[in-house]
Amino acid sequence: MKKIIALTLLLSLMASGVMASALPKLRVGYVPEPAHGLYFVAKEKGYFKDAGVDVELFQFGSAVEGISALKANKLDVGTFGTTAPLLFISKGTDFTFFGGMMIGGQAIVAKAERYAELSVKDINVFKGKKIGLVKLSTGDVVFRGALKKAGIDVKKDLTYVEFGSPTAVVEAVKKGAVDAGLLWPPHFSLAEKSSGLKVVHYLEEYYPKYTCCRIVANTKQFNADKDTYKRFLVGLIKAYRFFKTNQEDTVKIITRNLKIDEDIVRNETYIQKVSDSNPDPLRKGILDFWQNILQAGYIQQDYPVDKHINTDVYRQALEEVIKQEPGVKFYKDMLAFYKKNN
Amino acid sequence: MLLFTAIALGAGHLYFISPSNASTLPEVRLGYLEHPGNALCQIAESKGLYRKEGLNVKLVRFADSTEGLAALESGKIDVGAFPTAETLRGIAKGMEFRIIAGGGTPLRDNLLTELDDSLKVEIESRGIVVSLSPVWLNSKKEELVRLTAALIRAYRTNQHQAKASRSVIAVTFDPNPDYWRLERIWRLLGLQDATMQRDFLASHVYEEIYCDALDRLLDYAADDVVFKDLFSKAVCTPNCCPVKETKSNKDQGGLKQ
Repeated sequence: MKKIIALTLLLSLMASGVMASALPKLRVGYVPEPAHGLYFVAKEKGYFKDAGVDVELFQFGSAVEGISALKANKLDVGTFGTTAPLLFISKGTDFTFFGGMMIGGQAIVAKAERYAELSVKDINVFKGKKIGLVKLSTGDVVFRGALKKAGIDVKKDLTYVEFGSPTAVVEAVKKGAVDAGLLWPPHFSLAEKSSGLKVVHYLEEYYPKYTCCRIVANTKQFNADKDTYKRFLVGLIKAYRFFKTNQEDTVKIITRNLKIDEDIVRNETYIQKVSDSNPDPLRKGILDFWQNILQAGYIQQDYPVDKHINTDVYRQALEEVIKQEPGVKFYKDMLAFYKKNN
Repeated sequence: MLLFTAIALGAGHLYFISPSNASTLPEVRLGYLEHPGNALCQIAESKGLYRKEGLNVKLVRFADSTEGLAALESGKIDVGAFPTAETLRGIAKGMEFRIIAGGGTPLRDNLLTELDDSLKVEIESRGIVVSLSPVWLNSKKEELVRLTAALIRAYRTNQHQAKASRSVIAVTFDPNPDYWRLERIWRLLGLQDATMQRDFLASHVYEEIYCDALDRLLDYAADDVVFKDLFSKAVCTPNCCPVKETKSNKDQGGLKQ
């Protein structure tokens, strides 16, 4: 009897192994930001496998290394900000944006003693101030856009001081070399915790629903295998629902995968809600971001970047999920959000 | 003469340097032409900046760019500082070089250059770019970053001395490979043909090396005016979550303030 049970187990294990190996594979690159948590949720909760795709995750410490790996076909999917893929597209790389991972997320920090002065809601509070930032970071590009919308001239009305890393920005704020600094998660939380700085504003206050961290693929591969990419998005859409409705489990999953302070993840994700890990491609946001980069002079020639954005596959994935679970209002709300932003 | 003037301008030390034994340092064979735009390579040699960056650079002089580019393609030299137009033509013909840094461009005493964009681009095409041999592709990134850092430091030395001597500038230097400048020259020379991918040129410009070198120098001299000015002009993809080397690691054969 024992032999029969062992044989049955062995056969079922072999069968599941065969099934897993039969699924189409996607190698997905990302940078270690809490807002990229959907990948870990989808992987750990089995949403990718359920959708019929075998996802392997690769963490990169630098966006440029990640995006270069994508370009070299060492990855099938990349999540390395918005700036990096746009810069590559501007120079001729054929990437396609087809999903999103993070909306919002950037914050302005200052010394605690300047909180009262700089936390005033009016963006004009930064006139005449020195702002430290990492050049070409999402915060840099979006803040420029927000200032422009408010009629503030970046070159005349305030001083941008560029640094090479968020660590350097934190140091400059601490030393008083700049009045405030622009940072992204988890750096502003770490700056609050370890350096005594305070978040005075989140950029979403000035620029609602701006894009950060888009999901891109090589166009040729994407077009040749749209079904696999659709399955991938189905997994992320289901992970997003889990992310929204199972907060403590999500915090633990992200913490476990990024080895980051659990309180920071909880605070950024669910208490302060500094960003949203929404998989929507947010086409309008990408085009807006492109204009801001262009106006900042970081890209010297305009280009029809819209042809590098595919929103159809995301819509198909979302419609498929709605068909599978027609009673779930959450997914219908996602479709309404999609229609508004694409 | 311009070359010697430029070399003579390069003086002064910025950093305290740990003594290194040249024989233990990685060797880089750098090919060059007798061209005023190559002064940064020469200044870096005469001021010991290669060694300070932990490299044993052997300068190999060539009589003409055809010979130099052939040596670069075959791997007889690792890196070459040759005229921009010839280098780009070589790339267009299929030579798998990667441009990692800029050099100097002799200026023309002609007011039209300020007014006429195509003339300006034509003059820029006569400047120097530093390219990597295909034999070195996908390897030795650390050595390339150090080599580029030495050229940036040579640029800094040159800028300071030129300012101090108030000499008439006959050559403009820029260690930035600057993709968009190269793209303008590429177009002016009509090198993009219908069979090439849109990113053909971009695939042959390795700006990441320059960005990493600049980032490293700023790490040690964050307030340096010349480095900051170069950084403000560079378009470098920002690092989300840089994995920083420890300073003690970097000091080995490298740069110390």
